[in-house]
Amino acid sequence: MHQAGIRNTNTHLSDIVDAPRVAYQRHDFTLPKTLALQNPNAGPRLRLRRLPGPVLAGALIPAAVPVSGTPPGRRTPASPSHGPGGTASASPSSQALHPPETTPVARSWRSASAPESSTTRSEGESPTAPSRPSRCSRARRIPWPRWPGWALGARWEHVMGFSNDISSLLGNPKHAPRSIVEDAKVVLKNVEEPTCLKAAWELIEVFYADKQSQAWLPERLVDWLASYDCLLSTTEGTVYSELVDLQKELATLQVIENYQKYWEGISSALAVGWLHIVVKLLRLHGSYQLDQLGNRETENGLVEAVAVLVSKMPRMRPELADGTLGECFKTKPEFMKAWERWRGQIAKLECSAFWIQCEHDQTREGLRKLLQIMLGNTNSIIDASFNWMELYGLEGMHNLAQKCMQLKPSSQSHELTSLMLGIIGENTEVVLAECSRSFGPWMVAHAIELLTIGSNGAETLLHEEQYNLGGISIEELYRLVYAQVLSSHALTWQASEIAPVYLMSCATQGMRLLEILLYKQPVQQNQILLKTLEICRLYDLDSISSDIMKIAGVHQWKHGRKGSGVFWLQKAQDEVRLNRISQQLFDYVGKSISGNSFKQWEGLIELLGQEAKTVGGLDFLHKYRDFKKSLQQIKDGKASDAARQAVESLILLMKNPSTPQKFWLPLLHDSLKLLRSQPPLLNVSQTNLLLNKLQELSVARSRPDYCEPNLPPEALSAVRLALAMNLGRAFLEE
Amino acid sequence: MAVGVEPSSSDLQIYRLPQPKYIDALRWLPHLSALDTHIALALHDSDADSSASSIEIHALKTLPNPPPLDLQSLQSSWTCPSRVSSLRVSQTPQKPLLAASTLDGSLHFLTTHPVNLSIQSEVSIAEKGFHVGPILGVDLLSSGGECVTGGEDGRVNLVSVGEARLSYRRLFDSEGLVSYTAVKWASTAEFATGGLGFSLQWWDQRKPGGSVSQFKGGWGRGGSSGIVHSIDIHPSRKHTCVAGGSSGTVFAWDLRWPEQPIVLSGIGTGERENTSPSESEVWEVQYDCFVRSSNISNVSSSRILPVMMCSEDGILAVVEEGEEPTEVLAEPCAINSFDINSQNPSTVICSLEWESVAVITRQ
Repeated sequence: MHQAGIRNTNTHLSDIVDAPRVAYQRHDFTLPKTLALQNPNAGPRLRLRRLPGPVLAGALIPAAVPVSGTPPGRRTPASPSHGPGGTASASPSSQALHPPETTPVARSWRSASAPESSTTRSEGESPTAPSRPSRCSRARRIPWPRWPGWALGARWEHVMGFSNDISSLLGNPKHAPRSIVEDAKVVLKNVEEPTCLKAAWELIEVFYADKQSQAWLPERLVDWLASYDCLLSTTEGTVYSELVDLQKELATLQVIENYQKYWEGISSALAVGWLHIVVKLLRLHGSYQLDQLGNRETENGLVEAVAVLVSKMPRMRPELADGTLGECFKTKPEFMKAWERWRGQIAKLECSAFWIQCEHDQTREGLRKLLQIMLGNTNSIIDASFNWMELYGLEGMHNLAQKCMQLKPSSQSHELTSLMLGIIGENTEVVLAECSRSFGPWMVAHAIELLTIGSNGAETLLHEEQYNLGGISIEELYRLVYAQVLSSHALTWQASEIAPVYLMSCATQGMRLLEILLYKQPVQQNQILLKTLEICRLYDLDSISSDIMKIAGVHQWKHGRKGSGVFWLQKAQDEVRLNRISQQLFDYVGKSISGNSFKQWEGLIELLGQEAKTVGGLDFLHKYRDFKKSLQQIKDGKASDAARQAVESLILLMKNPSTPQKFWLPLLHDSLKLLRSQPPLLNVSQTNLLLNKLQELSVARSRPDYCEPNLPPEALSAVRLALAMNLGRAFLEE
Repeated sequence: MAVGVEPSSSDLQIYRLPQPKYIDALRWLPHLSALDTHIALALHDSDADSSASSIEIHALKTLPNPPPLDLQSLQSSWTCPSRVSSLRVSQTPQKPLLAASTLDGSLHFLTTHPVNLSIQSEVSIAEKGFHVGPILGVDLLSSGGECVTGGEDGRVNLVSVGEARLSYRRLFDSEGLVSYTAVKWASTAEFATGGLGFSLQWWDQRKPGGSVSQFKGGWGRGGSSGIVHSIDIHPSRKHTCVAGGSSGTVFAWDLRWPEQPIVLSGIGTGERENTSPSESEVWEVQYDCFVRSSNISNVSSSRILPVMMCSEDGILAVVEEGEEPTEVLAEPCAINSFDINSQNPSTVICSLEWESVAVITRQ
């Protein structure tokens, strides 16, 4: 894969398509106490492995968020019209990630049965696909090694797509319409309050990730403020809170233009650039009422003129959303020209003679103040705004923040304002610390993605391997922290296997930590064990997988589930342990195998398999079973063939070095009938072999570790006698 | 609580209903009226210390178009002393009976009200001698009278469900030498079990002392051997059972040719390698009577009927002998269990690893 270079060894979270979504649902976990960061120097540096299978831009529906419509990029099994892989709605960048020939293919539900399906299918499938249906869909969640050769533009686009995905995940649609309401008196629509998390995310996006927004930062801030000013009102006064108050009173007021707060509200809304609210409020002016239009014509003209001017304010931004006012200009020269023209119009209105004819004092003063604000009179603006962030938003220049704060010092600091301070100070560490403090590990782990794209300084800071962090980068550190948080909960670890996805994106320590966590998984429950092994399979962790099987095997064995124990140890090909347990198994067999109870052993023997080289000498059981079967058949009266087979099995067993010594006597005792048969079934050499074994056995009996089989006391002599007699008969035969 | 998602295409409607807990098992309940359908969920809350497991009965609204916001409502709930390993429902609309086995080796029967399907009473066997350790397979005769269990401890027990009391008898005890991971009735007297090493056993409760016939899972040898997780037997083909297990394996075992399994899906099985929809554990298999239900009688009796399977790698698919598998659902997380509505086979429910239930309607 790639050699160690900062860019190349890092997997970016924006490539892990589903993980952040699921992870977000559980982002409120507290950090587990038990899982400390492992010693980073403990393991060898492991490189990311590239895993088979396409990564598809599948989207998960967050449990808490109502979603209408199929999420973009979700693979829709029955929608062949969606184009290759049903990813038509996925972003261009994500398609770039997935070459079409590996994209899993949407299949028509009826494709197997409907005759016309062949055509439907070929539309949906790429040329190479028909013979090969999708590989495992799970593979879609595997991180994709990074973009070594990506153009910067594509990277920007990709990160922006990621950011948008996260934003939409975090809650209600961006810039929710606030006052397009039918009720004329409702200026602020009661929408669900946005979360601070989303506000913070978008703030970071505005400053770091959205390349286009650099040119029209002030406008972006106006938008941001429009959406999230309400959040700031928890600690201090804001335009939003003022407007909320005003709206409450609007319902009861008769002649609103006499009311001071009405004009203040309009000024404030104008100062922060919420043009539609300004216009809406202005149109509530009493002079618009039909019965008053006659004698307040001039006044009404002035109000309307201001309203028109407000709604024609030139704005430098790529596009305007529906329902927002102003004229949009994309380039700076155009904007400047329009801006000058617009200011000229205001100045003209300001100097017009109509003001003298306006008899309503509040209207006159209020409107003139609005004009001052539009002309950029600083004092008027300061009066109209409430805190420095609002002020900053409309001043719209980077270095003014400090000045703005002095103008509007705030007593308490809101989490968003602290974040803003970090951003303005261009101090990445402060931003991260704020994210971590206020919004938790989820935010940090994901925000880094945005922080690094725009600035080289931040990228170096975050991607550089730091000695005091044990050789990992800050980015990786935060990801590891978050992965540990995820690992602490069953849903995000065992169930969703989300934590491994994050861990795998940590180039240096992730794999090591994943290994450690895998070892800690419980093996008692079959299902959980199999799910753990599945993670090992996905990440090619064969040695861990075999270790876990060994652990499971021993656990099962110790808890009396011998078959299960043998099964896992066999799968792990653990000869050492199989040998050890085979001794115990033989003890058990020696006690329990007699006559009918052999039925119990059938299954285990089948499990051990037919092949001769089953590990651990357990193939003895297999032969023993065959021998027992033949003996059984002799009893049932099918003598001749069965007897010959039984003798063969007996000789094989006795010859086989893996047959434990303690079985020799029981075996011979079982075959007394064979030994006594006439004419003799065993020839001279076979009988001699058995006699030799019997001799060996008598020698072994004198040893202290010999354990007497559970047989009648005269067994040995009976066998010896039978063998001697058989030898005599065999001699005579030959 | 629940959120409806617009159907993704005209002939397949999928609704995902997020749940607050992990779903261990789920089943349709037989219903008397066509308007209301009910499902039983075995849930486990990994956050709770006690009373973490429960069985809940939910009413599932019939699925109109556009979907209502709330598809599902809790009818009744029963707290289970241990985590449910397997859940079965008798197909008797007059007196629906649920059997739930647990990882602690206890077996619980819940009787439900025939109309609103609320849980009315519960009887259980939890004594030590019944099973030691997890019961992995349980099956209820469709009439509800008798229940068979198979456990990791290697015991096979028959439980008769009387009016007021339960009684059980041990049919077999392998003393841990063999573990049983799945069971399924074939008739009132016969049933099949599955276990480690892709083994299957055929039993006849009239013949005690061991299985009548045994399938040696020898073909899956050499490290790729696996575990049977689920068995199904079609009422019209009692000589054949299909089994699903590790490595995407789905195979059929015909008692008339007991030595030759018919592999429907699975990796590393020769020429079929390319047609396996899944590579990991197949958690559940069921005959899918929705596919080609019209010409079922024309198919020869040796042909395996279409089988639906769900897998750890997130696939819900229908596999058929000699056909390309048909994918119904491909999820980014595991599909742990599913159930086809026997009264209306076009609807399928499945439980997703990410704590949600998917309801699929086929047209």
